[in-house]
Amino acid sequence: MSAPLRISRLAAALLLVLVLSCGCSGESGTIRLTLATFGEFGYRELVETFERENPGITVVTRVTDFDSHHKALATALGTGRGAPDVVAIEEQYLPSMRQAADKFVDLSTFGADKLRSRWAEWKWAGGLAGDRVIGLGTDMGGLAMCYRRDLFAAAGLPTDREAVARLWPTWRAFAGVAEQFAASAPDGVHFTDSAANVFQSMVSQLDHNYFATDGSYVAGRNERLKQAFTLAGLLGARGHTAKVQPFTQEWSTAIRSGKVATVSCPSWMLALIRNAAGPHGEGRWDIATVPGGTGNRGGSYLAIPAQTKHARQAYRLAEWLTAPEQQRRSFLTTGLLPSCPEVYRDPAIRSRRDEYFSNAPVGKIYAAAADKLRPTFRGVDDAKVRPRFDAALGRIEEGALGVPEAFREAVEQGREALEGG
Amino acid sequence: MGGRAAGYLLLAPFLVVFAVFGLLPMLFTAWVSLHDWHLLDGPRSFTGTGNYLRLLSDWRFYNALGNTVSIFLLSTVVQLLAALGLAALLNRPLRAATWWRAGVLLPNVVSVVAVALVFGQLFGDTSGTVNAVLQSLGLDPVDWHGDRLAAHLAVSVMVIWRWTGYNALLYLAAMQSIPQERYDAAALDGASRWRAFWSITVPGIRPTILFTVVISTIGGLQLFTEPQLFDPLGTAGTGGTDRQFQTLVMYLYERGFTDYDAGYAAAVAWAVVAVSGIVVLVNFGLVRRMVARS
Amino acid sequence: MTATVTRQVRDRQSTRRTRDASGSTRSPVRWWAYAVLVAVGTASIFPLYWSFVVASSEGAAASGLPSLVPGPHFPDNLARVVTTVDFAFAMQNSLIVASTVAAANVAISTLAGFAFAHLRFPGRNTLFLLVLGTAMIPAQLGVVPLYLVVSDLGWYGRLEAVIVPALAGAFGVFWMRQACEEAVDRDVVDAARLDGCSLLRVIWHVVLPAVRPQAVVLAMLTFMSAWNDFFWPLIVLDPVDSPTVQVVVSELASGYFTDYALMLTGATLGVLPVLAVFVLLARRIVTGIMHGAGRGVR
Repeated sequence: MSAPLRISRLAAALLLVLVLSCGCSGESGTIRLTLATFGEFGYRELVETFERENPGITVVTRVTDFDSHHKALATALGTGRGAPDVVAIEEQYLPSMRQAADKFVDLSTFGADKLRSRWAEWKWAGGLAGDRVIGLGTDMGGLAMCYRRDLFAAAGLPTDREAVARLWPTWRAFAGVAEQFAASAPDGVHFTDSAANVFQSMVSQLDHNYFATDGSYVAGRNERLKQAFTLAGLLGARGHTAKVQPFTQEWSTAIRSGKVATVSCPSWMLALIRNAAGPHGEGRWDIATVPGGTGNRGGSYLAIPAQTKHARQAYRLAEWLTAPEQQRRSFLTTGLLPSCPEVYRDPAIRSRRDEYFSNAPVGKIYAAAADKLRPTFRGVDDAKVRPRFDAALGRIEEGALGVPEAFREAVEQGREALEGG
Repeated sequence: MGGRAAGYLLLAPFLVVFAVFGLLPMLFTAWVSLHDWHLLDGPRSFTGTGNYLRLLSDWRFYNALGNTVSIFLLSTVVQLLAALGLAALLNRPLRAATWWRAGVLLPNVVSVVAVALVFGQLFGDTSGTVNAVLQSLGLDPVDWHGDRLAAHLAVSVMVIWRWTGYNALLYLAAMQSIPQERYDAAALDGASRWRAFWSITVPGIRPTILFTVVISTIGGLQLFTEPQLFDPLGTAGTGGTDRQFQTLVMYLYERGFTDYDAGYAAAVAWAVVAVSGIVVLVNFGLVRRMVARS
Repeated sequence: MTATVTRQVRDRQSTRRTRDASGSTRSPVRWWAYAVLVAVGTASIFPLYWSFVVASSEGAAASGLPSLVPGPHFPDNLARVVTTVDFAFAMQNSLIVASTVAAANVAISTLAGFAFAHLRFPGRNTLFLLVLGTAMIPAQLGVVPLYLVVSDLGWYGRLEAVIVPALAGAFGVFWMRQACEEAVDRDVVDAARLDGCSLLRVIWHVVLPAVRPQAVVLAMLTFMSAWNDFFWPLIVLDPVDSPTVQVVVSELASGYFTDYALMLTGATLGVLPVLAVFVLLARRIVTGIMHGAGRGVR
């Protein structure tokens, strides 16, 4: 008899604690801003500085994982409640957010339009929705090619990063190196990680891909897209890929056990490789210029949802965090590549080397990639179509489809995803 | 207190919570499903049965339905039978009984991250443990994520692993209500334990068996966590390169949260309800007859 | 009468102890039964063990190939966890959430389950089917309307947002209805009522002891699911004001790359209270009534 009693007493006590703990939210004169990000932006320290310089504003940082972050944002925007005051949006989610531009504060009302010279031209343009400014650029994802010096040596290829870069001025040459590598590579080692990773890097170098600049779906007619798909698909079909994609467990395992010789790596992927390969990979990995010379994958923007009650203060925070000085500090703590030319051209940044990657001049390599960049046009529904092409390349790697069939299927499934029926 | 008033009174606390947090969302979902409803933008136009008609001609829906039913069949029968056996064991005078009883729930408690890691390692296509064992036995490695049936099997193993203990505990609780005298009488008659299990235990917990059948049918048709953990791409994935193991709720999730098509996702949700309802009825009838016979 | 019933129940509880020791069949348990249990136990505990192995390895080395032996780095990783997030606060929040949810579920579901099982009132069956019907709506979709309701109530970022919607559910009511049908004799209830006991008294003194195993299991399961829920808390809770354990574990996992050692240290730590609660509750999965005697109450 005593057990239920004790349980109910416990419950009563807990309810009491609950009521008490909820009743004491003190109201004071300060304004509280919420800043929501995913991944490591290095904002914790920066925010402390901001709070010191802006008395009366406290900033609460919310960090969740990539997927939860964007889903929570979508829910908050859709229901009109609970959005943070300042929110990070990753590049691939931006087109769909642009469709709901009125859910965000037009930052030009606070003078953001006068800041455009801060960023690389394409980065600035990415934050626009029509004539509204909805996002201020944070980092970017300049492209390079990471490779294993020891595996290259074992296959009789050059190991010096300049010489390696000369091996693959183009992707066609890259595919040629894959053949050469395979001919004398150690057992079980694949030339690159996945067809999809190669394909996405190639796509980022096209002026447009699945969509024409008028927004129409042209994947089936875009010859260069088809060529990129075919080249990447053939790498898969001929067994040059390890069939593993970044952000997966098998990718980490493959990298760690030295089964992959090259990874097409946007700047933020260095951390991924370093973490996956561990101490064993130190000095074995190196970085060379990517085939095609340039490209960008990823990078984020800060936006202010229109629900905020403190738009002006939120703008002050977003503007401050994306300013060159803060981007520089963020680069130095997290390695995220700044999107301000003023910063990435800075000699101090340019001369930056990465010890882990055989002391490669990361500052120089990635800055060069950023300078030459001609951004690819991404349609509003890019995110719906892209996974279908990645999946089709996966089908080739699984041996389930030939390259031409896979391309037809990708185009068709992309169309289905658009029609949504 | 009159009987009627008493009934409603006892139900009142539940009904309040249920109405606000169960019924309201359900009706809202129905309303959304009748619209062209963008997750961010809200309703664009009333389309009536439009979303449902699209659903009927959507091969991805049928694909997801087929996968869901296949995984459901593969996992549920094994899981419930194993749970029944496990519960019978746990109902015996074991040493450290408490620990065994608490222990069977472990698979359900462990963080899903750990679950994903372990099963990812087991069923890795190239570097997986199962394939390594197969190869050392001179067998061909299995394409766990690419081959439809293999993927369904792997996901089913995860489901069975995670939910057998859970169901065993439900059975165990019910077995406690069976009077000891019945076993004593059977023992006097010289019945074997096996006999006693089928003629006393199983009929004795019949309502609970029906309960678990209904609950695991509903749970099985809403299968999401396990196949999603099995997908190397996580929530960004669509259950394999060719949707080999995409379940109905994964498809719903894709349409709602990746494509922002809330109206269509709501229609998929109602399709899940309809399918669950049908399967629950069929199962209920089947199992009731089977248990009654034994 | 109450006193008599109480005494009778107490008597039964003392006989229960002998029954507990003997189990449902009195012959000793054979070795193969333990062999099966050990096999099941090993499979069950392995991921937890492995979490600890990873949690005790060095951060950067923790991805990729599994090792089977724990390393010496658990204290370091623990230190990293508590400096990265406010784990103690999250634990406290999770404890508040999960115990309230478990206690409320048992109370509310027992009342409702008893009503569905033993009382007659108009609309009973329709209502019950409706309850079952809502259980068929996938939770993933309920999120959006639930979010609207909860934020309109002003609970966004507060623990109420995860507690109140979980106070009762179709599963618990269905389960306790089943339990009441199975374990409580209608004759006993009628007899007690004829003796002038109020309904609540009958539930407290007769029904609850009889369905105790089921109530305990319900408490375990609801405690666990409230503790482990992350889909919904990640959307409505505030990582600073009201984080639960799952919210901070997700925060530990939020980097561009996953620091498995850090994350699994948090995850392993977060499982411990649940295990403690399980062990405390599991010994109570025994009925409070001897059935033979229960039938003789009149």
